[in-house]
Amino acid sequence: MQFRLEKRLEPSRLMLYATPIAAVLLTMVIGAVIFSLIGYDGIGAVREIFFTPLTNAFKWQDLGVKAAPLIIIGVGLSIAYRANVWNIGAEGQYVMGGLAATWVALSTYGMSGWWILPLMMLAGVIGGAAYAAIPALLKTRLGVNEILTSLMLTYASVQLVYYLVRAPWKDPMGMGFPQTRIFSEAARLPTIIPGTIVHMGVPIAVAVALIAWFVMSRSVFGYQMKVVGAAPHAARYGGFSENKTIWLAMLVSGGLAGMAGMLEVAGPFQRMVPGFPTNYGFTAIIVAFLGRLNPLGVIFAGIVMAITFVGGEVAQTSIGLSSSATGVFQAMMLFFLLAGDILVRYRIKRVAPAAEARA
Amino acid sequence: MTPELIIAIIVTVVGASTPILIAATGELVVEKAGVLNLGVEGMMLVGAIAAFITLFLTGNHYLAIALAAAAGVATSLIFGFLTLSLSANQTATGLALTIFGTGFSALAGQGYSARPVTLLGPLFPAEIATHPVWRVLFGYSALVYFSLAMVIAVWWFLKKTRAGLILRAVGENDLSAHSIGYSVVGVRYAAVAFGGAMAGIAGACFPLLLTPQWAERMTAGRGWIAVALVVFASWKPFRLLAGAYLFGLVMTMELYAKAGGGPLSVIPSELWAALPYLVTIAVLVLISIRRDASSNAPACLGRPFLPSN
Amino acid sequence: MPYRLELTGITKRFPGVLANDNVSFAVKPGEIHALLGENGAGKSTLVKMIYGIMQPDAGEIAWDGQVVNVTNPKAARKLGIGMVFQHFSLFEALSVLENIALGMDAKIPARELEARIREVMNTYGLLLDPHRTVATLSVGERQRIEIVRALLLDPKLLIMDEPTSVLTPQEVEQLFDVLRKLAAQGCSILYISHKLHEIKALCDTATILRGGKLVDTCDPRQETSRSMAEKMIGAGLKDIVRQPGRSMGKPKLVVSRLSTRKTGHFDVPVDDVSFTVRAGEIFGIAGVAGNGQNALLDALSGEIIGDDKDAVTIDGYPLGLLGTTGRRKHGLCAVPEERNGHAAIGDFSLSDNSVLTARDRLGMVMLGLINSGAAKTYTGKVIADFAVKALGPGSTAGSLSGGNLQKYIMGREILQKPSVLVVSQPTWGVDAGAAAAIHQALVDLAAAGSAIVVISQDLDELLALCDMLAVINLGHLSPARPVDGVSVEEIGLLMGGVHGTMEGADAVPA
Repeated sequence: MQFRLEKRLEPSRLMLYATPIAAVLLTMVIGAVIFSLIGYDGIGAVREIFFTPLTNAFKWQDLGVKAAPLIIIGVGLSIAYRANVWNIGAEGQYVMGGLAATWVALSTYGMSGWWILPLMMLAGVIGGAAYAAIPALLKTRLGVNEILTSLMLTYASVQLVYYLVRAPWKDPMGMGFPQTRIFSEAARLPTIIPGTIVHMGVPIAVAVALIAWFVMSRSVFGYQMKVVGAAPHAARYGGFSENKTIWLAMLVSGGLAGMAGMLEVAGPFQRMVPGFPTNYGFTAIIVAFLGRLNPLGVIFAGIVMAITFVGGEVAQTSIGLSSSATGVFQAMMLFFLLAGDILVRYRIKRVAPAAEARA
Repeated sequence: MTPELIIAIIVTVVGASTPILIAATGELVVEKAGVLNLGVEGMMLVGAIAAFITLFLTGNHYLAIALAAAAGVATSLIFGFLTLSLSANQTATGLALTIFGTGFSALAGQGYSARPVTLLGPLFPAEIATHPVWRVLFGYSALVYFSLAMVIAVWWFLKKTRAGLILRAVGENDLSAHSIGYSVVGVRYAAVAFGGAMAGIAGACFPLLLTPQWAERMTAGRGWIAVALVVFASWKPFRLLAGAYLFGLVMTMELYAKAGGGPLSVIPSELWAALPYLVTIAVLVLISIRRDASSNAPACLGRPFLPSN
Repeated sequence: MPYRLELTGITKRFPGVLANDNVSFAVKPGEIHALLGENGAGKSTLVKMIYGIMQPDAGEIAWDGQVVNVTNPKAARKLGIGMVFQHFSLFEALSVLENIALGMDAKIPARELEARIREVMNTYGLLLDPHRTVATLSVGERQRIEIVRALLLDPKLLIMDEPTSVLTPQEVEQLFDVLRKLAAQGCSILYISHKLHEIKALCDTATILRGGKLVDTCDPRQETSRSMAEKMIGAGLKDIVRQPGRSMGKPKLVVSRLSTRKTGHFDVPVDDVSFTVRAGEIFGIAGVAGNGQNALLDALSGEIIGDDKDAVTIDGYPLGLLGTTGRRKHGLCAVPEERNGHAAIGDFSLSDNSVLTARDRLGMVMLGLINSGAAKTYTGKVIADFAVKALGPGSTAGSLSGGNLQKYIMGREILQKPSVLVVSQPTWGVDAGAAAAIHQALVDLAAAGSAIVVISQDLDELLALCDMLAVINLGHLSPARPVDGVSVEEIGLLMGGVHGTMEGADAVPA
């Protein structure tokens, strides 16, 4: 017996949404097997990474706080990738958003007022968007590949963090630690549920995803992103400028990454530290794909990814699994998802033995 | 500057350039076959940890290089299977491969940080390289000569052999190559595996040639620079040399600046550390200003192969 | 003497289609055998099986009397089967020599190969410089590479798949000379076409396919074009219904001194093109592929914007500086040649494809939001009025057959009631029924007072459809002539780049 791929007349909607779920489940099964084979407690690893964060109510607030930046960045990336604009430097735009917000927080140090946080938010969005504008400019003016430039800028932005916290922004009372001082009260994100660490970023993330979903599915802007991504030639015929689309995609994805950077620095961190670049920008790439480049799917994917982060920390303390195992699980998930993509366009057909003999 | 210093700089530049040159040479062949594998960084990290562990356990440098190549091939075949057998998006799969390689190498390398190994020594006996001038020619390890030999070999293969012609044909027009009767997928698998081997060896250069230890993410974006270098070289092997040595020079300046070397240390060390990446962008900009640079790109680069039957 | 090639009961099934149904025929040595049929009749599938690209589901192929199993093209070439594809399997960035070397199964040293290539070229009058890069060659020259490549293998059967669709009439004559010379030496030729006059001029036997079934094997010299066409199409032919003695209105579309810049390596820009189309008139632009047709369409539709506002005007209103959206608002709609990826997006539903070009003219957008209900209603109307075979407005464009997609695209533009419509290759790869429907729709639109420009490589189509005709060659447009007064020879010379009769007489190859 043999199997053959046969092209579907229409892409399967069922497979489009079933494959991400299958990818998560397969990652658990195959992950357990592989980790057992290489000498870890495979089943324990899967249990701790994927289930403990859900069963332990005390971990839920961690989930929300970790999922929020992933969702916000992931939504931006899902819009850009729809337009076939490969911004993979969201980590750098996240960092620049955080730095811009930090700059506002440090400049207004000691002041109070409701306007400080909105100003930081504005600075964060502009910081991220401005950093994304560099690859956009180089791409539209000179045709330079945005994958390489946005990524190179990420490496540079990390060095900028190191420099700023080591020299000009260093906390004078910090006993020589390379970090800024703790922001004043007015520049710190309030928690919204007393007694937890859940901050404003969580509802903002959900709102961003919902707005993006509406815009992408109903508006001419969303249509433009999708047409340029699916068929650039047709887009030009339909009256949409490819360069304008690249700009919009980069600015929106960069701005949202910068917003996430502001929320992180004003929320969980409350100061700028060298450890601020936490790879959210890279993980959000997986989030965007796992969410099928659909803002609502990104919410689901962001939560799944947050589970693996929180679970990875649990597994680190409970069964001594390295935190890098989380990265392996996340990459496996993306591999399975990409492998499953073929089922959206093709169906597997059993080839009858008679036909096989001829083939 | 004394002649000794200049020679020392040349030797350092060549060493720092070697991993980028090897990885870029591999990626050039992959791209000539019409495949864009953005997972070079990930494959390099897997190669680096494979080489490190082998070296740590056996002390045999050449076995370490061989296993790094094998690990690179194995990693590249994940990419090959997804993109060639299942027609998955090459950009996304390449990114996934880098995320995977980063995580996997960190996991495999757990407990190996801070364990020392020895660097791979020069290929030729020290007597030949006593004179400074001879040192510039004969003072390197086998990996350096390997990198140069591979540039020549790849040029010869692509330009002069029938197999190379077939590989270029597959990259230019996969449907035509298929209709004439060549196995597009087969050729591309071979190219991807070659790229994987080269990336693995490039990764091995880090513990074997540059810093005799294991550190997570020790390739620090050099795999991405290698991808950029292929664009810079307009897919021509000998131009890779110029690009790689330019990056080697920038990275060497960083080393000297960090060591407190006079005028270079006026600039903050973080800027030096960021310089290779900024230079990469600058180089990409310069190459794009020159007209029709991108027209040299293989016509099928990055496109999935979908024969109608 | 056994047949060179004999097919018995060949059947090939694709999902949802029976491409070949129990087809049997035979080709004698030295015979020029036509395989005749409409697009989609199963000709290409059949020859792909002979050449080993596909395998039949049932039936036998016999070669010189022996049943053979042609597993791949290499096996076919080993038997002595050569093939020249309709869409050339050439590599633009490589040289002629490299391209030919790739088609050879045996390893031949470059120098020896070059000598053999020159020998074949001289024997058959197929002249080419082996060291030129393919990208720099014309379509006719490219076809010569394919033919030389096939001839180097000393084939006993040469398959030609629609070889003349890209050639000027003069180039076609040269090709026929080569084929006749080959046949005289004993090589069989399987000649695939749907052009009846060519088959009558060239072939000894014709096998006619319709809907995957063999209809008839006949002697084309004994048949009339009409009788063969009826066998090919089935039901009686429909002619275009047009009102006789129509009077044209005022000049509507005026194009003056329109030029485009050269953008890529391989495309031909248009240079100083001027013409006028009156209301109610169909203006045809003939020409061999790759002579600036794409640039002309883009410059008219607004995909390429020039710097002269008066280069394109409708009723005197300057459109030269507007993009596609602006020109559509002023009544200029266009249909590019490439259906999938240019005129339509395969992954999108038909409804979403309607948004692409009709959103402004038909008010599908309010405050930046798309009114998907309006798009759906309009799409349903297009499907109904143009008899598009689709499940509904929600079907993806990619799921439609070429002919149905073209009907949808033409309908989408025509129902917007444009005052000027520019179309390129309106019936390329479309079956006869759909082609007739599209032609009728164009004629009706013109009768309603619109000005229409048809860019096509199909001379028969232009002669049947148009009132005025001009020829584009290397980006230049010849002066327009009324269709009633031109001869095919004249047009052919213009297509080959020969202007003026004196010059033309000298340039005709003997």
